[in-house]
Amino acid sequence: MSNGPLVNPRKAMGALALLAGAAVLPLLISDPARLNFLVLILMAAQMGVAWNIVGGYAGQVSLGHAVFFGIGAYTSTMLGLSLGLSPWLGWLAGGAVAVLFALAVGWPCFRLKGHYFAMATIAVAEIVQILVTNSDFLEGAVGLSLPLDRSGPAAMVFLSKLPYYYIILGLLVVTVLVAWAIERSHIGYYFRAIKDEPEAARALGVSLTRYKLIALSVSAFLTAMGGSFYAQKEMFIDPGSVLATSISIKIALVAILGGVGTLLGPVLGAVILITIEEYSRTLFGSTGSGTDMIIYAAMIILVAVFSPSGVLGLLSDLRRHLPGGGAKPKKATKSAEIRP
Amino acid sequence: MRFTVAKAMGRGATRRQTIKRMMGAAALLATTALSGLTLGAGSARAEDEIRIGVIYPLTGAAASTGVELKAAAELAASIANGEIAAPQGLVAGAGMPRMKGAKIKLIFGDHQGNPQVGATEAERLITSEKVVALTGAYFSNVTATASQVAERYGVPFLNGESSSATLTQRNFKWFFRTTPHDDLFVTNFFTFLGDMEKKTGKDLRSIGLFNENTLWGNETTKLQIKLSDERKFKIAEKILYPAKTTQMTSEVQRLKAANPAVIMQSSYLGDAILSMKTYKELGFSPSMLLANDAGFNDSEFLKTLGKDGEYIISREVWALDQAERNPLIKSVNELMFAKSGVNFNGNSARAFTAVAVLADAIDRAGATTPDAIRKALQETDIPASGLILPWKGVKFDATGQNELGQGIIVQVQDGKYVTVWPFDVATKDIVYPMPAWDKR
Amino acid sequence: MTADILLQVLVSGLLIGLIYALVAVGLTLIFGVMDIVNFAHGEFLMLGMYASFWAFALFAIDPVVALPFTALLLFAVGVVVYQTVIRRILKAPMLSQIFATFGLMILLRGLAQFFWKPDHRLIPHTLVGGNVVLGPVQLGLPQVVAALGAVGVTGALWLFLHRTRLGTALEATAIDREAATLMGIDGQKMFALAWGIGAACAGVAGGLIATFFPIFPEVGSNFILIAFVVVVLGGFGSVTGAFLAGIIVGLIEVMGGFLIGPEYKTALVLSLLLIVLLVRPKGLLGKA
Repeated sequence: MSNGPLVNPRKAMGALALLAGAAVLPLLISDPARLNFLVLILMAAQMGVAWNIVGGYAGQVSLGHAVFFGIGAYTSTMLGLSLGLSPWLGWLAGGAVAVLFALAVGWPCFRLKGHYFAMATIAVAEIVQILVTNSDFLEGAVGLSLPLDRSGPAAMVFLSKLPYYYIILGLLVVTVLVAWAIERSHIGYYFRAIKDEPEAARALGVSLTRYKLIALSVSAFLTAMGGSFYAQKEMFIDPGSVLATSISIKIALVAILGGVGTLLGPVLGAVILITIEEYSRTLFGSTGSGTDMIIYAAMIILVAVFSPSGVLGLLSDLRRHLPGGGAKPKKATKSAEIRP
Repeated sequence: MRFTVAKAMGRGATRRQTIKRMMGAAALLATTALSGLTLGAGSARAEDEIRIGVIYPLTGAAASTGVELKAAAELAASIANGEIAAPQGLVAGAGMPRMKGAKIKLIFGDHQGNPQVGATEAERLITSEKVVALTGAYFSNVTATASQVAERYGVPFLNGESSSATLTQRNFKWFFRTTPHDDLFVTNFFTFLGDMEKKTGKDLRSIGLFNENTLWGNETTKLQIKLSDERKFKIAEKILYPAKTTQMTSEVQRLKAANPAVIMQSSYLGDAILSMKTYKELGFSPSMLLANDAGFNDSEFLKTLGKDGEYIISREVWALDQAERNPLIKSVNELMFAKSGVNFNGNSARAFTAVAVLADAIDRAGATTPDAIRKALQETDIPASGLILPWKGVKFDATGQNELGQGIIVQVQDGKYVTVWPFDVATKDIVYPMPAWDKR
Repeated sequence: MTADILLQVLVSGLLIGLIYALVAVGLTLIFGVMDIVNFAHGEFLMLGMYASFWAFALFAIDPVVALPFTALLLFAVGVVVYQTVIRRILKAPMLSQIFATFGLMILLRGLAQFFWKPDHRLIPHTLVGGNVVLGPVQLGLPQVVAALGAVGVTGALWLFLHRTRLGTALEATAIDREAATLMGIDGQKMFALAWGIGAACAGVAGGLIATFFPIFPEVGSNFILIAFVVVVLGGFGSVTGAFLAGIIVGLIEVMGGFLIGPEYKTALVLSLLLIVLLVRPKGLLGKA
């Protein structure tokens, strides 16, 4: 897998084109709501890629990633509110706290396998949510608000959505590059070995726990940065909005939807999931009849049933079944299918 | 078949193509999505439309309340638009004379009980739907984020039913609130208890706090502790319970063991029902159950519990029996009943009033620019006789808080909420103590 | 006085624990047979509650009398869900399965809100209403009946799995799918059966809980976390384990909530789960 040249020129070109497109896109959009929609996609994509490092490559399915998200959000916000620390530094601090937490929790939890591990991560995240809800120090259920008047680049608070767009795009690029570097390095090789052949890996002297902890720590650091970004963007956090299990599940959904263990699968998954989510709510949510939930859920089930390895899996599947077919009709079929 | 392909996926050659294809698909999707989001905004819009964004919980655990609020807001809009004749005296911008017959159009957003979704909806309503003002969002924490978006864009946000005191302590320029907040409500509780002590000669000094564990319950608890210190009450037990629980046995057992004279409870609907069932199951009947509105005043509370909901006392901002003192209450309530098949309650009456106050302000502004609406809101001075709420009127102070709002205290008697305090507006005598379960 | 209260708390905890066990046995059965975690289990419970509600509202049939119908109805729902969705993702990765049942959970909630409105409902009076007083202990009759129902259903399920041909075939499929197929057991049929029985158990639980709990589209979310904790604590796939774990969770939740503070009751249960998992990574009675 990592045998070709260091950088495949065609891939690199594609990636650069994608990045250039993403960088130009907001300049063509004047409507902040649509820009906000793109920011939501990038946020979900960033979390999905970060989750994928431990959940996809290393195969350790965490359904408790909200805990890292929340740690990031709370750490940078608390440091900002109490010490006046710039969120740019708070970002790193949040990541560091998340790594410490990941090490402390991961070490015992990695003894568990499969569903037991997944349930343990839910339990850890729920416990943390309860503790924060009852913590006076963190203002408990009341939550923390960032002051509106302190705006500007230093405070990472902006009136326009554009700076948020570029910040989260940058964070996504960094996250993808980290994932890419891991994928290509010997660490990534060990991750896959842990996922596919744990016994063989152990027999070859790979320390399973050590590499699982590396995967979790990297993932936790990046997820926490996503959490800090959330706090800067929404300017209000409470346990329900940054530590809830529904966030953990959404983070995993993004990766599953696009394709677990693939570099850009979560990005595609985020585009699809957020589109379905925002669309169904915008178009049907105002009726109060639950139609938006029905549509959202039906899409999820359809993807799960017809494309169990995510949309990337479906795409390569289609390719196999339509040999010689041009790319365009296939794309058309696909988007027609997932368009809400 | 699909599965084997899937497993092979992401390896070597297939991968390059997949990435290309994926880029294409993603780009296509994003484009469709973006063009699609314009759908709502792009559709033909009459020049004479006044678009108001309304954000409520229309799915999720509080959906039943949200749907009720929606009906009330729609009623207010119909009255403002002259589709339904306005009852004599009601201030609701009826007919919008100064807007030259322009019609109000409410654009609803669903926040699902989630602060982030609330902010996203506010953003969409302001920028895509071009609403000139916002109202909502029932949940205090969602109102916090949604009004922050409105503040950033300089769009008036009139909140009608969120009672967290901190909302108007943020020095916002564009935020207004018609309902009194928890500070006043909690103060009312203690004043009421003082009055009750004088009236009955009983000692009501020991209190059990029983509040749900979110923003609302937490702030209420803090205020209750502060006031009970100030007024020399004693807190015998303090419980913050997790909302959406499966059982309340441990909570009620603790209350039972502490046996306070008065229980002050803050719960949303599901928990309110479950707690009443648990009180009965464990045979616990405090001499007074003083509820903090919300679940206890929801239309479904009595519909669901029937006789088991009798004798609870709750703070309120509205009661049908106030129609005896204010005929508007009766006539507007009849309109509501004709429209949605349910009577008003404190929440829906406040949602109605928020839209009515907003319509009145827009009409007085004679324009839909944010500054004009804000100025008109600041100049709002609605007399008590123009409202369906037992307030002294609507007039906003510098923080945007209505300073003329006031609360009443009601009790469930014979399946109805009747006003029992303040004594001068009461229609029935209070039943005290609450009869034990086996003596009903 | 204090001893009386403690006794009361203990008995209350036991009752709610048995009810948790009842909710969880169906979930653990499905997992045991086919290694799939059903996120929509709480929604099966919700459907069972609505079935009882409508039986009462439309035909004035008491929830307890309606139990067999509720069970049959939910059995059918389970089989239909299996045939339409689950059958197609049997060999998919664990994550896709979680994803599918998660979608199912949202879908059923949405459908419930669509058809039955988001209102809260309660069955006003049932055959089992009222209270039981045993010395210092006072209990709701509905809870007592539900707890007895839990014992009955779990017992019946155990007998079915260990004493009948069909049940043994189901167990065999759970232990070794391939070997069972070689023995002539139709795996597909067994899976469908597991979903049917699993959903029926949730339906019975719903019917019993409906006698004392408000009914609304999102009610499943109140129970699902606890149900998962019970299943994991007992060990995925172990009916006996779920029964024991249900009781333990109920006791810890009510006792812990009473002694330490209700705000921490769920945290206590989850901490217990983590501690047990660290000592026994497969839960109390999980199969290795």
